[in-house]
Amino acid sequence: MAVGLEELLDTGGFVPHGVCLLWRPDILMLHVASDVLIGLSYFSIPVALIYFVMRRRDVAFGWMALLFALFIIACGTTHFLSVWTLWTPDYVLEGLVKLLTAFASLATAAALWWLMPRLLALPSPRELEASNRALELEVATRREMEARYSGFFNNLGEALFIVQVLPDGDFAYEAINPALARIGGLDPEQLRDRRVRDAVKPELADLVIPRYTACRDSGKTIDYEETLDMPAGQRVFHTMLVPVKDAAGRVVQILGSGRDVTERKRLQEEVIQTSKLATLGTLAAGMAHEMSQPLNVIRLWTENTLARLHDNLLEPARAEKALKLVIEQTERMGKLIDHVRMFGRRDGGGMRTFHPADCVQSAVELVRHQYRHEDIEIVEKGWAAQLAVSGRPLELEQVILNLFSNARDAIIALRAAGGAAGRIMVAVGDDPDGYSVVIQVTDDGGGIDPAVLPQIFDPFFTTKEVGKGSGLGLSIGYGIIDGMGGRIEARNVDLEGGGRGVRFTITLPSQPVSSVDREFSHA
Amino acid sequence: MPDRFHILIAEDEVLAAMALEDFLSFKGFRVTVAANGVEALERYATERIHALVTDLRMPRMDGETLIREIRDRDATLPVVVMTGYLTEDSDLKQERWKPLEIFSKPVNPRTICNTLHRMLGIPLEA
Repeated sequence: MAVGLEELLDTGGFVPHGVCLLWRPDILMLHVASDVLIGLSYFSIPVALIYFVMRRRDVAFGWMALLFALFIIACGTTHFLSVWTLWTPDYVLEGLVKLLTAFASLATAAALWWLMPRLLALPSPRELEASNRALELEVATRREMEARYSGFFNNLGEALFIVQVLPDGDFAYEAINPALARIGGLDPEQLRDRRVRDAVKPELADLVIPRYTACRDSGKTIDYEETLDMPAGQRVFHTMLVPVKDAAGRVVQILGSGRDVTERKRLQEEVIQTSKLATLGTLAAGMAHEMSQPLNVIRLWTENTLARLHDNLLEPARAEKALKLVIEQTERMGKLIDHVRMFGRRDGGGMRTFHPADCVQSAVELVRHQYRHEDIEIVEKGWAAQLAVSGRPLELEQVILNLFSNARDAIIALRAAGGAAGRIMVAVGDDPDGYSVVIQVTDDGGGIDPAVLPQIFDPFFTTKEVGKGSGLGLSIGYGIIDGMGGRIEARNVDLEGGGRGVRFTITLPSQPVSSVDREFSHA
Repeated sequence: MPDRFHILIAEDEVLAAMALEDFLSFKGFRVTVAANGVEALERYATERIHALVTDLRMPRMDGETLIREIRDRDATLPVVVMTGYLTEDSDLKQERWKPLEIFSKPVNPRTICNTLHRMLGIPLEA
């Protein structure tokens, strides 16, 4: 049996609720007043809620407030209907509104419980205040750090620069510090965000871009010495490039620092020159002796021949022998003169590629005669050196001569103390790794006190008595070898046959191979 | 005549020693060559030597030591020094080493020869 809406809303047969209250005006007034007040209050609350949600647009879960508003309006409506049914028995309508209110209440209650964990997770104002304070502190700390780092960047004497690696692999200057601007005569603003090739002169770009490329491609820190023609003039830098990578490992930035070593380099060259002159001075005595020997032989043989010629006693065979001897001796002198001539040159002959064995050979030739007179034998061995190195041959020769001279001094000192000594062993050979050449100079002069061994390459350190050694020879030698990218080490060795001495080992990288070649050779 | 005089040459440079030996022999001296100080001293001990011509820098006993050793044995033996070194401040310049003459290399063999004549009291040839 279907029941229509009209039948439902038909009030026939019901009595108004006022009947239950026996139409007592006091009780009626109590109910009416209370219900109206409750209804009005209920109706005002959603307005306030909606107003709040509208004004505070950041309120989380705003829809919940709307749900609350619906639920409260429904509640309010039931109270107004209670007043209505006092006189009109619309109980079905009242029941329907109550049903609606029940659904709204149920939904609101369910939603509230469902939301509870998330509502609890919302930070309270006190928490927010605390986190705000922490944030402020962090900002202050970061500002201070930034000020400190920018202080470093702006005030450090070292030249600093940041190079950006662009997506196409090219390079652009992000920033340079005032020190670099000052040393190089560059304008930081003109360089900022400009491609390297556009920012600096082509010659300069040609020098620095291969370095940046090497850092970008290897992803490793590289350091090197470079001579750059800057707007402020030629400067020598000891430069270090550090790659900065993104999460994918791609190099996106290069941090560069350069120490201006122009002055130091100039001083170093001056000291090398001075020491060369000093070496030349100590060699002068030996040279005088070396020169006087062939001259003496020439004089004696020519006088001899002349005397026989005067007496008509000169046989052609004797004359020929004498003249050949004279020629030999002039050749011997010619070599010596060539050497002295080259030795005095300031530029040391310039950087070039050469075989270190040739330097060792000519150093040996220069002192062999002189040392033989002091009963010191130079023993050469292991000349299996094929690789070439890069540098100044005469500087390397100077280092080797200095090692010979130290070895000689040690041998003479040991002899003076009653010991037996008199051999300098020299060997040159390629390192089995195929990347370097090793030169060893070993004496049998008794060795160096292990306590001072670490200091022997320090400038002005000397074990010799005052006036005997400048203490500069080894430190200059160290500088020269270092400049060639090599290293020099000293250690005491026990020799076959019981002697003891010092062995200096010079390791020089073979002629630099370009990075492309190296990749091929590794493949 | 010079052939009565026996000269000892101490010189380690073989070619120089050979030429001087040849020259002095040609001029009539009897000449013995030693390659170093030790050998020269041995020769001096075993043979009758009238004058010494020596180099200063030699392996196995240098010239100065050799002269000292010889002066201990004979205060009057004429000594001629040939040296490739600077001799300005040499101890050998002192009176006590005399009779001693010093010549810088390269030496003139005629000068050496004349000096030997003078020191040995042999009249110079015309």
